[in-house]
Amino acid sequence: MAILKILEFPDPRLRTLAEPVTEVDDSIRTLIDDMFETMYDAPGIGLAATQVNVHKQIVVMDISEDSSDPLVFINPQITVLADDTLPYDEGCLSVPGFYETVDRPASIRVEALDRNGEAFTLEPDGLLAVCIQHELDHLNGKLFVDYISPVKRERIRKKLEKSQRQRA
Amino acid sequence: MATVPVRAQAATVLAAVLQQQASLASLLPAVSDKVAPEQRPLLQELCFGVCRWAPQLQLLLNRLLQKPLKPKDSDVQALLLIGLYALKHMRTPDHAAISTAVEACRSLKKPWAEKLVNGVLRSYQRDQQSLEESVANSPANLTAHPNWLRKQLQNFWPQQADLIFAANNAHPPMTLRLNTSHQSRDDYSAALQLPHRLTPFSPFGITLDSACDVHTIAGFDDGQVSVQDEAAQLSAGLLDLQGGERVLDACCAPGGKTGHILETSERLPQPLSEVVALDLEERRLQRVRDNLQRLRKQATLICCDALATDQWWDGQLFDRILLDAPCSATGVIRRHPDIKLLRNATDIAKLAALQLQLLQALWPTLRPGGRLVYATCSVLPTENNDVIAAFVAATDDAKHLPIEAGWGIDQPFGRQLLPQVGGHDGFYYACLEKLVS
Repeated sequence: MAILKILEFPDPRLRTLAEPVTEVDDSIRTLIDDMFETMYDAPGIGLAATQVNVHKQIVVMDISEDSSDPLVFINPQITVLADDTLPYDEGCLSVPGFYETVDRPASIRVEALDRNGEAFTLEPDGLLAVCIQHELDHLNGKLFVDYISPVKRERIRKKLEKSQRQRA
Repeated sequence: MATVPVRAQAATVLAAVLQQQASLASLLPAVSDKVAPEQRPLLQELCFGVCRWAPQLQLLLNRLLQKPLKPKDSDVQALLLIGLYALKHMRTPDHAAISTAVEACRSLKKPWAEKLVNGVLRSYQRDQQSLEESVANSPANLTAHPNWLRKQLQNFWPQQADLIFAANNAHPPMTLRLNTSHQSRDDYSAALQLPHRLTPFSPFGITLDSACDVHTIAGFDDGQVSVQDEAAQLSAGLLDLQGGERVLDACCAPGGKTGHILETSERLPQPLSEVVALDLEERRLQRVRDNLQRLRKQATLICCDALATDQWWDGQLFDRILLDAPCSATGVIRRHPDIKLLRNATDIAKLAALQLQLLQALWPTLRPGGRLVYATCSVLPTENNDVIAAFVAATDDAKHLPIEAGWGIDQPFGRQLLPQVGGHDGFYYACLEKLVS
């Protein structure tokens, strides 16, 4: 197990389109274990492979009270089931320290493979639905800051670039 | 994905309380939804804990700050109180208590405060012993109550004040009210898996040794038991229902006592003819509706100001009236510790005036020979004994009926319950009869 480095906005690698996983083997499972360790350490409630610079369609999540409900989504597909939306103050491990309200579809269906390569279907609601959509965006090279006003996005970009320079 | 740090959320909530804009009960549900589920118990503990110990924490903060913060920075003040609370009362390691508070500054969009928060909390950590000694004998530190309230409690209850402070600062017990129409309290108690004890004064009450999720309690979802403090369970008995009466519950939300009256009706030789339940706010009335639905009970619910009898009263007299009047809630501080921050000395006279107005407005709706039970969850005689004394003095056909009971403290008018550690809340009752002319 290892803690991986998380890419930070505006790193262009976060815009990469992730490839589907063709075979769920031990190397994928090792990556998943490392992603969980990275996510719990951050701490976050969801992490996409894109954020650790691996451009495969893999997402890990855990929104439980005691880190007891790890979820793995490989090659996830989302279907929106209804028009209603849910606003939520989202943050992102790739945009550390910033939180903005994003509206997303409230009822969705997710189809994906689990860590053993078995297909499963889920109809999540609330935070789980928000989080899976946030993570799937990463696999498509999208970030939650893409949903907010350009002025706010630029302000966040400048502040993050400054703190990245200070750390470098 | 990451969620907004729980300390930033707690600081936003507490800032509104510090500015006396809103209560925890009104703010927390919406904010709780914005926090990851794993963080919700922590959000709850930070908000309630800071309010409970705010008089002590604020005393320390005053010593630690060079100059007071501006009102617009009450979120930073809240964050400092959260940090002090964590250092003083929580098992979080000191470095984590400090770093999480510092990080929250950015989420509050006040990065300038990082240095201040870090400096203040580190000073406390470094000089904890001498700082604590310097405030040790201050009354605010000894009682953890705001000065105005401490003085009133010591003035009105010189013998009991220290016990009241202790009860107000303790965690409240979770007490159930059983509908004894379908099973006896002894039978329910024998079958109940949760550790508990029977309440000494209410024949319906069972106090759990530790709080739990209501839906895990046998009989809750099908309306056999409700959550209600023992003191509040005494109201239905005081109404002296005989059967067939028309009853008004004048300030009914959240409907605990309304439900109890309706349960009592099942055991009467003849059911009550009607229970009319009023409340000022539709939002609060919805909770009454939900509660009655769970109990499978019916009442006539009206959303209206009880004072405006010309708007809601149909002219039919009531045989019984329960007036659970709006009050300072100083008897239930342990359940609503934000009262320590939200209430001022000047509120009490205003509340007493409103309480007297309510009595005067409702009195004409009571049948001669009928009974009115006045209740508050206040422990201040200004809102209790004095209101009833003034009302009886000014109302020719009002007769005060002394309450004979094993609970509470007899007052010239009515009976006062003071909050007990592990026992009932602070509460007040008085019974009035309308004389037949």
